[in-house]
Amino acid sequence: METTFVIAALKVVGYGLGTIGPGIGLGLCGYGLCVGSARQPELAGKLFTNALIFGALAEALALIGFVLTFIF
Amino acid sequence: MNLTGDPLFDIAAPIEELSESFNSTTVFNIGPWSISQYTFWMFICLALVLVVVLVAAKRVTLVPKSKFASMVEYGYDAVRRNMGEGAIGHGYEKHMPFLASLFFFILLSNVVGLIPGCKTPTGTLGVTWALALCSFVYFNYYGIKAKGGWGYIKSIAPSGLPKPMVPVIWFFEFFSLVIRLLTLAVRLYGNMFAGHMILGIFAIMTQVFIMDAIEYASVMTALPAIVWFLFIAVMYLLECLVAFLQAYVFTILSAVYVGLATSEH
Repeated sequence: METTFVIAALKVVGYGLGTIGPGIGLGLCGYGLCVGSARQPELAGKLFTNALIFGALAEALALIGFVLTFIF
Repeated sequence: MNLTGDPLFDIAAPIEELSESFNSTTVFNIGPWSISQYTFWMFICLALVLVVVLVAAKRVTLVPKSKFASMVEYGYDAVRRNMGEGAIGHGYEKHMPFLASLFFFILLSNVVGLIPGCKTPTGTLGVTWALALCSFVYFNYYGIKAKGGWGYIKSIAPSGLPKPMVPVIWFFEFFSLVIRLLTLAVRLYGNMFAGHMILGIFAIMTQVFIMDAIEYASVMTALPAIVWFLFIAVMYLLECLVAFLQAYVFTILSAVYVGLATSEH
């Protein structure tokens, strides 16, 4: 009982740590999108698509962490 | 419900009950297949999409008359302009049926889950996995069709790299290509599952505080219940946004992947 509780708690802590990097990455991605489209509004559509691709790449790590908490 | 007076202890049992209610359970069997509640709602959503699209297609006229048809047409047009033209570019008409079906199905699935008493089909990994697999097979098929088998494999690494770097970059790009299957599925599932879990937990908190307030007849205990209830309302609004956003993100990422696979570099 005690061990399962500790493992469950560790999973949550691990996932929390795992979200730091993707969080920063997504923030930078959004920052770049906002700054870029403010400087060149005519490119906003293209920048948005690129931001989604890189957002998806940055988010991938957080999602893998999310899956790992269920697997182990 | 046994109340101890301490809400932190009182929520433990209902939360366990809540997380068990998210597990797939067999509703009924068709031959050798057992249908879980999520699959059952998926069939309902499929039927809904079919009805919505067919009815709208019948009522669509050059001069818009029916509000309903205009609404569906607007949705289709958004998919066409933002995702088709924006993400795929040249030759996007061919991919429109796939993208529009994906968008409408995921949108309706997410929205159906927001109605109390209904289950969201995208709240289980099984359904989102199947959707991601469709998308994965689709963009790989069109990539191979556009560039040929060997050409597609070579095009995974971007052109213009120094020669010794190509295998390394190719490996990383290949890994990110395979991982798309996982990320597409888990992004949708994670967002829907977590959203419903949070709504459930807030509802339990509200209930616990109200029950405590009745049990001990104190007004001070009732105040948090009101705050938690407001939280539910705010989260519900956020979930409405997320339902749209996740359908949009899933579809536009599929479109971007199709665009990447078929574009000439």
